[in-house]
Amino acid sequence: MIEAAPILVIIIPLMGSFLTPLISILTKRYKKDRIRDLFVVSIVIVTLLLVLHMLPTVWSGNIIVYRLGNWTPPWGICLAIDGLNIMVALIVSGIAVLVSIYSLMYMKNDTGLEKYYTLLLLILASMMGVTLTGDFFNMFVFFEIMSTAAYALVAFRRNWDSIEASIKYMVMGSLGASLFLLGISFIYSLVGSLNIADIAQKISIIGTNPLPPILILILALLMTGLSIKIAMVPFHAWMPDAYQAAPSAVVVLLAAGTTTVGVYMMLRVVYILFGVAALGAMLIVLGSVTMVVGALMALVQRDLKRLLAYSGISQVGYILLGVGFGTALGIEGGLFHLLNNAIYKALLFMCAGAIFYRVGTCNLDELGGLSKNMPITAGLFTIGALAISGVPPFNGFASKWTIYIAGIQAGKAFFSLLAIIMSVLTLAYLLKAVNAIFLGQRPKRFENVKEAPLTMLFPMMLLAVLCIVLGVLPSLGINIVSPAYNALTNQHGYIQAVLGGI
Amino acid sequence: MEFGPGFWGPIIATIVMLLGAGFACLMLLGSRRIAKVRPSIVKRSTYGCGEEVKPEEVTADSEQFYSPIRRVFKPFYRYIQPGHSGKLNTYLLWVVIGFVVLLVAIALVLR
Repeated sequence: MIEAAPILVIIIPLMGSFLTPLISILTKRYKKDRIRDLFVVSIVIVTLLLVLHMLPTVWSGNIIVYRLGNWTPPWGICLAIDGLNIMVALIVSGIAVLVSIYSLMYMKNDTGLEKYYTLLLLILASMMGVTLTGDFFNMFVFFEIMSTAAYALVAFRRNWDSIEASIKYMVMGSLGASLFLLGISFIYSLVGSLNIADIAQKISIIGTNPLPPILILILALLMTGLSIKIAMVPFHAWMPDAYQAAPSAVVVLLAAGTTTVGVYMMLRVVYILFGVAALGAMLIVLGSVTMVVGALMALVQRDLKRLLAYSGISQVGYILLGVGFGTALGIEGGLFHLLNNAIYKALLFMCAGAIFYRVGTCNLDELGGLSKNMPITAGLFTIGALAISGVPPFNGFASKWTIYIAGIQAGKAFFSLLAIIMSVLTLAYLLKAVNAIFLGQRPKRFENVKEAPLTMLFPMMLLAVLCIVLGVLPSLGINIVSPAYNALTNQHGYIQAVLGGI
Repeated sequence: MEFGPGFWGPIIATIVMLLGAGFACLMLLGSRRIAKVRPSIVKRSTYGCGEEVKPEEVTADSEQFYSPIRRVFKPFYRYIQPGHSGKLNTYLLWVVIGFVVLLVAIALVLR
């Protein structure tokens, strides 16, 4: 394995983001803008390849620890890569590759693309940083870079709606980040360390049964900060506004990337840092509320992207529910759903983008009959809709089924029943969307609408294939998720690997 | 975790579903009328309040699409939906309430 692979995964997109404006100046001068675009795509592909390069080592049960400046933990900053964060890195880098390809055509008519691609690479670097770091403060720094890039990307088109949505997102996100930082500072004042493994070890010495009042406050601060990022109810309100106003390519990255990273941080804090599986009951209740509120709100939306945003909130509820059950099956189901959610959410938002690209609106009341003009997009959207609704044989069914069974096995059949009812509602509002967009009468002004370009269809097709493959062969998904589950439940192994028996 | 027999056999289920879909298509094709239906133009037109409405103007209101479900969850749509108003101060209030709820919940679960 390339020894520096962990840090290269962060540095390459980071340097790429700094180089993009310079390359843009040159490519503009020689009128070869495509070279800049291809440079960005190649940077993202290299990042994915580096993640894939680390996979065999991590999946064989090892934890890669990369010490920056060769400082021995808990001193200095280290990157610690286990089965959990390699899965998240794989999702994030994979989605980033597809988004960069999708953007080639989707963003073609926008101005200021050098800023767009700079921010795209910056958000990728920061997501990788958050995911791979073994240092808590370093995690916060990358978390802030990720959030700042996201605010700018939401406002990228600079119209009134996007700027307003971005400001709301920024205020909410900054509040979340402040609470998160407050939690970190309290932890530092308590244990005198910022290394995640070291903090986990010291907290385990303090003891979590019962948890001292200061640790309860710290956990509440950290969880509130992260809940805003993953849009868990009641911290979710910013998300539909932001997703509706942002360009679809950006929304794909936010929905499938930053949300996945946020859930990862939540799991890292709850399981590795505090080792408190007892929080399961709370996660079940919060997950259920999130699931119900998201689904009921999605049911009454007129805008497709807003509908999908509420749907995304509802799906986060499923993940929390699965993890909250606390059993092996439940946690694996939750993690599997995290993977699946990134896939079909990216697919659905890309379809929404393709529709917007061709007809200029996502208002369901203004659309109709587009299956005649955009049959491939219609087919792909239907696959995504069926997958997210948990209809067999798509991937959503495999993970939701696992969660239902886990609930029944854990003696919490009521929550499984609730999850099934919410899946029915998910199918209901997405069938409404399919009907409103692709079926029925086609407005006359859409008669000459063409199918989405191939560069946009290609990533969508790839995601649709994944929806089918992971549904028909769920053991493939389980193989990806199992190392993540093992890592999540092996707090002691993580501490040993990072601190090396200190 | 198991996806084999007795739990969920995805490949067999997929084949059965595909066969079912194929059978449904055959039934659909088999039940098609041979004689062409020729309704009058008046019969094929759409009317609203006695006036003719053009096909492209006929749309179902997305928000009211599932009005029966809205009626079932009336309290939710009366009290929770207005909270999604787009007003930032309302969102911040939700965060404060959420933080207090989390703090109390963690204290109750872990104390």
